[in-house]
Amino acid sequence: MNRKHTGLRAWLVQRVSAVYMFLFIAFFLIHLVVAAPQQYAAWHAWITSAAMSIATSVFFAALLAHAWVGLRDVLMDYVHAATARVALLGLVGFGLTAAGVWVVRILWMRHG
Amino acid sequence: MRFSIFRYDPERDEKPYMQAFEIELKPTDRMLLDVILRIRDSQDDSLTLRKSCREGVCGSDAININGRNGLACVTPVRELKEPVELRPLPSFPVIRDLVVDMTRFYQQYHSIRPYLINDEAAPEKERLQSPEDRDKLDGSYECILCACCTSQCPSSWWNPDKFVGPAGLLQAYRFIVDSRDRATDERLDDLNDPYRLFRCRTIMNCTEVCPKGLSPSRAIERIRLKMSKVDHDEGGLALHRVPPIR
Repeated sequence: MNRKHTGLRAWLVQRVSAVYMFLFIAFFLIHLVVAAPQQYAAWHAWITSAAMSIATSVFFAALLAHAWVGLRDVLMDYVHAATARVALLGLVGFGLTAAGVWVVRILWMRHG
Repeated sequence: MRFSIFRYDPERDEKPYMQAFEIELKPTDRMLLDVILRIRDSQDDSLTLRKSCREGVCGSDAININGRNGLACVTPVRELKEPVELRPLPSFPVIRDLVVDMTRFYQQYHSIRPYLINDEAAPEKERLQSPEDRDKLDGSYECILCACCTSQCPSSWWNPDKFVGPAGLLQAYRFIVDSRDRATDERLDDLNDPYRLFRCRTIMNCTEVCPKGLSPSRAIERIRLKMSKVDHDEGGLALHRVPPIR
């Protein structure tokens, strides 16, 4: 990855993802308060509707991107040995990617 | 009044230590520097510190006073909690007692090219600037490079070699907004790196401790906005009241 010019991009990703997550969580909680689904079927229909599926997927994408930038910052701040930093960044990247795959499986490859 | 002062002479001491001093204040003792100098002259002439103008203009006597960086010459001594703990600027290599090595600080300052870059033919007299354009330099040209901000910035503690630090970034902003400078894009490009500017976590210690009431954190924010091309026309940076050191 080109190290140059990743400063602003990472910073923007963190800001934009934070705003989206805030709006999504606010919408989610307000929806549960105002129009709480009364049984499982209603909940299921709501959460699997196309719009909600997309919005939830974007939420988890934002969450993972946000976590990546945050953890990358922590490692860049404190881990100064290049090999250790690269190894830890790889580990974090792997963990977050795995979490992403898991999210996709839950949201899009469900049965019933 | 009781003082506890950081002492270290690399030629004599194995380790730094805190030395206690006690001195009676005279009516003429107003600022902390007055008292430190009297301690040095009357009790221990090996006590070493930098000072020059004695009025907050030169920035030589920046030290850590009861945990906060400030200029000894403009810090009212009677407001300080006892014992007054004086240490050299945090994270800077100590040369002796309260004197620190500023080399790295100046290296970061030089790295932002703190001078006008303009290859256009020089006019007969001078490069003119409208009063409005001149106003944009307010709040950044006043920096005296005392290093209070950079020395109190955690991001500078962790990456002093790669992060420019608040003082350098405030100066970078001063040249980025100068209407006579022609290297704005290169300057922004140079700072758009994960380390040089973006180690800033907006902790804002820099702004809090600046003895001139400047806001490096605001300058850093404006540089980020300029990089993002969200650039609305602003005037200079506002000065703020300097919170008193207790």
